[in-house]
Amino acid sequence: MATNNLEQNIEVEPVHETTIYAEPVFHVGSFQITNSLLNSWLAVLVIIVFCLVLRKNLKQIPGKVQHIFEILLEGALSLCDQVTNDRKITLKIFPLVISLFVFILVNNWLGLLPIVGSVGFLANEAGHSVFIPIFRAGTADINTTLALSIAIVIASNIFGIITIGIWKIFNKYVNIKALGGIVTKFRKDKNVIIVAPITFFVGILELIGEMAKVASLSFRLFGNVFAGEVLLASMGAIFLYILPTPFLFLEVFIGLIQALIFSLLATVYFTIASQDHEPARSEDHSGGEHEEHESHEEKLASV
Amino acid sequence: MEEFIETFHIDWKLMIAQLFNFGIVFLAFYLLAAKPLRKLMKDRGDLISKGVNDAKVNAEILAKTSKESEQILAKARIEANKIFQDGKKEVQAKQNEMIENAKIEVASILENGKKSLQVEKTKIVEEANKEIVSVSMLATEKLMSSKKDLNNL
Repeated sequence: MATNNLEQNIEVEPVHETTIYAEPVFHVGSFQITNSLLNSWLAVLVIIVFCLVLRKNLKQIPGKVQHIFEILLEGALSLCDQVTNDRKITLKIFPLVISLFVFILVNNWLGLLPIVGSVGFLANEAGHSVFIPIFRAGTADINTTLALSIAIVIASNIFGIITIGIWKIFNKYVNIKALGGIVTKFRKDKNVIIVAPITFFVGILELIGEMAKVASLSFRLFGNVFAGEVLLASMGAIFLYILPTPFLFLEVFIGLIQALIFSLLATVYFTIASQDHEPARSEDHSGGEHEEHESHEEKLASV
Repeated sequence: MEEFIETFHIDWKLMIAQLFNFGIVFLAFYLLAAKPLRKLMKDRGDLISKGVNDAKVNAEILAKTSKESEQILAKARIEANKIFQDGKKEVQAKQNEMIENAKIEVASILENGKKSLQVEKTKIVEEANKEIVSVSMLATEKLMSSKKDLNNL
C-alpha cells in the first residue's frame, strides 16, 4: 500500500531536468517555437533597444556611456587588426564579427538571468508531468550554434572568393592546378609527380577541415553554455542560492570568453580565406615562379 | 547522422530562424550603432587632426611673425638711434652757433658801452671845466666886488 502511494507521488511529481535540446513552447503551424528561440528574440529585442538608445544619444563630445562604448569599439578593432594584420580586411569583416560577438554574448548572458530555466509550465509527455521552461539560453541550443557556424564558414569562403577569386578558392579544395602541374612541370622537376597528388589530397583535407570548423565552432559554444546550465542546475540542487553564486560569476566570464573565442575564430577564418597561400605551397620547387613567391612573401611581410 | 539529428533535435527551420535573428542583429548593430559611431569617431579624429595641423601652421606663422617683428624692431631701433644722433649733432651745432652769436653781441654791447662812457666822460669833463671856469669867474667877480667895497670904505 505504502509502495503504491510512493509510486503515485513519483508519477505526480513533475520532472524537471535540463535537456540537451531546446524544448518547444508552442507551435505556429508546423514550426516549433522553442524556448531558445524565444530567448534569442529577447536578445534581439535587447540589442535593438540598446542600439536605438545609443544612436539617439550619440554626441560629438561623448558622455560616459558613449565613451565606454567607443573604447570597446576601438579595442575590438585593434584586436581584430592583430588577427588580420590588415586594416582593410578588418574594416570589411568587423561589422559581421562584432555583431556575432554581441549576439552570442547577449544570448549567453540572458541565459543566466533568474527567470531563465525557472519560469515555465507543466506539460504532459508520455504520461509524465514535465516542467518546460519558457526561456533557455539561445546558445544552449545546437541549432543556433550550428546555424551560426555554417553561416560563418560559408561567409568566409564567399569572402575568399571576393578577395582572391573563385579559381583560387576552388583550387584550395579541389586542386586541379596541382594535378595539371604533373603535365606542365614534369620536365623541369620530376618530384612533381609525388608532390602534386599530395597537394591534391591536402586540398581534400582542407574541405574536410571546413566541416571540422563547423563542428568545432558549434559544439564548443553549445557545449560550454549547456555545461554551464547543467552545472548551475546541479549546484542549485545541492545548495540553493549559496552554491550556484560563484558558478554564476564563472558562467558570466565563460559567456564572455566563448563569445570572444567564436568571433575571433570567425575573424581567423575570414583572414585565412582572404589570403592566397598557393605560391608558397606549389611553386617552391619551381625556379621560374620563385620571384612571384618572394613578392607574395614581401607583401605579407609589409602587411 | 539521423541519430545525431534526433538526439540534438536539429531542425533546419529553427536554424534559419536563428540566422534570421542574427541577420536582424547584424543590421541593427551595423546601421544603428557601429556605423554612426565609427563615422562620429572618424569625424572627431579628422577634426582633432585638423586642429593639430592648424595649431602647427599657426605656431609657424607666429614664429615667423615674431621673427619679422623682431627684425622690424631692430631696424627701427637703429633708425631711431641714427635720428637721435643726427638731432644731437644738429642741436650741438646750433648751440655752438648761438653761443658764438651771443659772444659777438656781448662784445659789441661792451664796445658800445665803452664808447658811450668815453663820450659821457668827455662831456662831463667839459662841463666840469666850464663849471670850474664859471665858478672861478664868479669867485673872482665876488672878490673883485668885495675889494671895491673895502676900498670905498
